Amino acid sequence: MKIKLQKVLILTLVFVTFLSVTVLADINWRQFEGTEIRLLMNKHPFTTFIEPKIAEFEEKTGIKVVMEVFPEDQFRDKRLIELNAGGKVDGFMIMPGQAKLHYWTAGWLAPLEGFMTNPNLTNIKEWDLGDFFAGPMTGARIEGHQIGVVINAEASLLAYRKDLFEKFNVKVPETMEELEAAAKFFHKKVVDEKEMIGITLRGKAAAATSQFVDFLYTFGGSWTDSEGNANIASPESINAFDFYGKLLREYGPKGPTMYHWAESTSTFMDGTAAMIFDANVFKSLYENPEESKVAGKVGYTTIPAGPGGRLPHVSNWSLAVSGTATPECQKATWLFVQWATNKENELGALLSGVPAGRESAWTDPKFVSTDKTPDWTASSLKSFAIGQPQWNPPVLNVSEIRDIVGQVIVDSIDGKDVKVSAEQGAKIMDQKMEK
Amino acid sequence: MKRFKEKILSFVDNHIHIIFPAPTIIALFVVVIFPIIYNIYMSFNKWRIGLGSPKFIGLQNYIDAFSDPRFWNGLKVMFFFSGLSLSLEIVLGLLIAVYLNKEFKGSSFVQTIYIFPFAATPVAIALIWRIMLNPQIGALNYFLSLIGLPPSLWISSAKTVILSLVLVDVWKWTPMITLIVLAGLKSLPKDPYEAAVIDGASIPQVFYHITLPLIQPVLFSALVLRSLDNLKEFDIIYTITQGGPGIASETLYLYSYKTAFSFFNCGYGSTLIIIVFLLVLIFNLIINKIRYKSEVL
Repeated sequence: MKIKLQKVLILTLVFVTFLSVTVLADINWRQFEGTEIRLLMNKHPFTTFIEPKIAEFEEKTGIKVVMEVFPEDQFRDKRLIELNAGGKVDGFMIMPGQAKLHYWTAGWLAPLEGFMTNPNLTNIKEWDLGDFFAGPMTGARIEGHQIGVVINAEASLLAYRKDLFEKFNVKVPETMEELEAAAKFFHKKVVDEKEMIGITLRGKAAAATSQFVDFLYTFGGSWTDSEGNANIASPESINAFDFYGKLLREYGPKGPTMYHWAESTSTFMDGTAAMIFDANVFKSLYENPEESKVAGKVGYTTIPAGPGGRLPHVSNWSLAVSGTATPECQKATWLFVQWATNKENELGALLSGVPAGRESAWTDPKFVSTDKTPDWTASSLKSFAIGQPQWNPPVLNVSEIRDIVGQVIVDSIDGKDVKVSAEQGAKIMDQKMEK
Repeated sequence: MKRFKEKILSFVDNHIHIIFPAPTIIALFVVVIFPIIYNIYMSFNKWRIGLGSPKFIGLQNYIDAFSDPRFWNGLKVMFFFSGLSLSLEIVLGLLIAVYLNKEFKGSSFVQTIYIFPFAATPVAIALIWRIMLNPQIGALNYFLSLIGLPPSLWISSAKTVILSLVLVDVWKWTPMITLIVLAGLKSLPKDPYEAAVIDGASIPQVFYHITLPLIQPVLFSALVLRSLDNLKEFDIIYTITQGGPGIASETLYLYSYKTAFSFFNCGYGSTLIIIVFLLVLIFNLIINKIRYKSEVL
């Protein structure tokens, strides 16, 4: 009996040792030593954070990294042209909600699950796939394949002037009715000799769809119906257009149809608007005392609830491996993606102001103890949890369809008959959608 | 060796009419003719960048264009914008040239100042106008308030956006028309004017019966030159409105650019640009015909 127990103990010990060796052991980071990889990056705060650390990766792996960084518009064009021309591009940044269907259909995105589950290529336990927010990671998936790893999770938040809401004893909007009431209350109110604007939002056609989508979902509408046809003329969608247009027309800035995020955030930072609904990443602008007059006076909350519930979208910037790269370069690039998105780097990115894609970064004591805007953190986390991964219309020609929907938003702001405009938009959308 | 050299020299001498212009013709072919031919070929294809090779679809893109409401909007905007701005530029350019043609104290200084907008880079001035036309922070609404007028939405309203863009275009390009007409005026013969004065003609009579007929060929040249640029106006519109609000100021030329470079639909984008090309061609043929007729008469 004693011998038997001893045997069991020894066997258990051997098994545990074997398990820990296979699971916990680090991968061979130098397996692609001497390989050169070329990455195309957007000039984004994550790139600013990771670029100086590349030497660290090169030293660890012996892989030479050539990173080329371009401003966003130029970056999108450059990425498209280079991938189409078949030049050496091994990895790139991508907003999956904008380009994944086009890029996947073109064969420019390598599926990552083969790398993520390969113990020779991925330190599975330490990298910890389950630590990433589910919503954004789902957004970076197509036809069951993971095509990117999230470096920046993005959701839109309602930012409001905490000081004014307290001063005038106005309730922070929890519902769409309360949002309208608050906008109405502050609109044209004179504060510090300045006439206030109730709320500022994007009104410039295609650009406005990025935030309008949250209203669309929250009012119970959607881009397309279950059969894939345009659904922007459904009663729920029309209500969303109507509400969004009315907010801007009656309680918004002058000439809102030319408002992109730059104009909208500037108006809010200038201290003339009581509220703004835009991407959470703009907190770094609002809270910058050198550029913003409202730094330290801003409160944050999620989108108010509507007839369809509280349904913000959640989008993301991801790092992708190019489908056009050679197998060896793809694997070497995967090592880079894995390293750049490890727990330490995502925490570092969050500390430098990038809303990182890992939950552990947001709960890390280093971040929590230095967090000056806990309501922003809580609202962002809540939006990531409840967010819809479908940000843009589910089509190949996203920009073209956004333009069509944008026209309905402009018509609504201009006070035209929204039903007629939405029906016309839906008709054109059905003609133009490519899947 | 000597004979070989002689042979080459005699070959060059005999074919000088081909060899000398050859570099220019080759360059012209590569950068102008080939892209035009390729564009025409592409207009018969369906091709979105990255999604397979171009697929020949015959006239389908042209058929699609005629049932595309955005195409008709582009056409309407193009004619409205160009019609208004070209007419204003020609009329104002002519009147200002007639005025500047008179010698007065400081006339050369005024002429120099006057051509500033024409000399400035279009994108740079468009950026400044974009700020001035902003209804919230722009200077133009401030000026309106100084003279007791209500503020305008300028480029932020579909109703006033084209008029605002015409304002910028006229401000920028009228000096060019003035310069051309002024050069024409300076070269006019003095005799008819002297005869008219002796006959007791009034100033308007001199203008209508002498200046206008004599300057007509110059005016037509100015119109042709300006219309070539104006019908495919891009920098001012793109910088100030990008075709907005919505598509209220999107000319056909801008729509073709967006189709090719924002929507990456190169086949359809090529079709639209070919249509713009044909429209500009037809417009200029008509102008030339009118000009020819007026000269014959």
